[in-house]
Amino acid sequence: MNDTLKAAKLDFALIKPYMKNICFTMVIPVVFAAINRSLMTGVSFAMCFIAMTTGYTFSVSEKSGMDRLYGILPISKKHLVFGRYLYTCLMGFLAFLFSMITHPLVLRVLGETIHPVDICFAIVLGILMFTLYTVFQLPGYYKLGAINGRIFMYIPVAGFLAILLLASKLNLTNNPIFSALTGNPMISIIAVLLVCIIAYLLSIIMSIKIVQRKEM
Amino acid sequence: MDNFLEVSNLSKSFSGFWLQNISFSLPKGYIMGLIGPNGSGKTTTIKLILNMLKRDNGEVKVVGFDNITDEKAAKANVGAVFDTNYFCDEWTVTQVEAAVSVFYKNWDKNKFSELLKRFHIAPTKKVKELSKGMQMKLMIACAFSYDAKLLILDEPTSGLDPVSRDELLKILSEYIEDGEHSVLFSTHITGDLERTADYITYINYGKLFFSGSKDEFTDMFRIVKGGRNELTFNLSEKLIGVRNFSTGFEALIRADDLKQFSHLDVEPATIDDIVVFTNQEGEHYE
Repeated sequence: MNDTLKAAKLDFALIKPYMKNICFTMVIPVVFAAINRSLMTGVSFAMCFIAMTTGYTFSVSEKSGMDRLYGILPISKKHLVFGRYLYTCLMGFLAFLFSMITHPLVLRVLGETIHPVDICFAIVLGILMFTLYTVFQLPGYYKLGAINGRIFMYIPVAGFLAILLLASKLNLTNNPIFSALTGNPMISIIAVLLVCIIAYLLSIIMSIKIVQRKEM
Repeated sequence: MDNFLEVSNLSKSFSGFWLQNISFSLPKGYIMGLIGPNGSGKTTTIKLILNMLKRDNGEVKVVGFDNITDEKAAKANVGAVFDTNYFCDEWTVTQVEAAVSVFYKNWDKNKFSELLKRFHIAPTKKVKELSKGMQMKLMIACAFSYDAKLLILDEPTSGLDPVSRDELLKILSEYIEDGEHSVLFSTHITGDLERTADYITYINYGKLFFSGSKDEFTDMFRIVKGGRNELTFNLSEKLIGVRNFSTGFEALIRADDLKQFSHLDVEPATIDDIVVFTNQEGEHYE
């Protein structure tokens, strides 16, 4: 097994005892989607909530003094970082997949019509939001640790509120950028994916630098 | 390869502490005790060997591999046990195996379950439910399951009851029996070393005081006892740390210096005596 996969597997093992809580957290956005009758709101909440659990791996390992385990395992620090990013992205992907299946279903049951553009915009917004939250959270946790860096847990909440505020101020229906995005869904998805890849690359480089400088 | 651990001129400075030019080697098939008072640099040395701290200078070879350039190969041959458990508290013993075994190509599942049986560790128990002694044995079981050639233990017996300590020392003695494994064992409970160690490395205030065979170490010194009037200037100059009583004194002296003072009561020095008295002298000079 590749070292990155081994490290990601170790991270999944870390959060295994908390899996029930995380799954329960994923149910709440379904309720939000139902109340607001909006796919976008539900998916945004789901990505916000799952990003808030990014620190679990850091806090569990910090609580159990697992730095020493990481120190003796035959794996480089770089691969430990890659593994954590892979784990984070997989968690985000699973949450996203769950939301994209359950939320439209619930909305359909409630009699709402889901247009392809709604789905497309939910995909773009969901991926973008999750990326923006986690690319700042992960280096933050690496730098300060889970306890001192607990403020990073609230980045998704702050980000979510900021996006809501921005959306209300910008009057999106008459916004040319918004219109261009909704008019070219494929281009929007590709552009967002590119932004996400670049953001993750920069974030990974930053995290590796932090970890390599750190002494256990 | 004769040595499973080779440390040369290892140095590391922190604010207020400097580990200076530590050199020692541990031959294959032996147990070495790493001793010294609290804060002397034992844990720092171990962390430097495991590349958990960045060294300022020096070289470390673990089972023939450089601990930085060949870090992965070096660590695949090392098992480490610390004074406290390093697994996730919420994991069961089975989950510990699932999480750790993927990192070692030669992990032996059968050996692990045999060791669990031998150590009376229930696979369904959570790590946090195990006693300190059991947690220690779990860390050892993991190290043995991938046949770690070198086992490094950092103060493993501190906080263990006498029965668990005895069991641990037996396990270590059995581990090196085949001549293919070695143990580096840091402790300040020197009684454990009297029983198990073949070699001693003594670090005091960040400096290497001695590294060599245990017998050589204890043969280097003697305890001398005498009345107050026997504590002459000539004698005082040769003594390494003195304990004064109302009736007389007790002190450590180098065996070579003893010939001139044959009239005094002489006893063999234990490792504990040597550490305590040399530390008194160290404090005096600090």
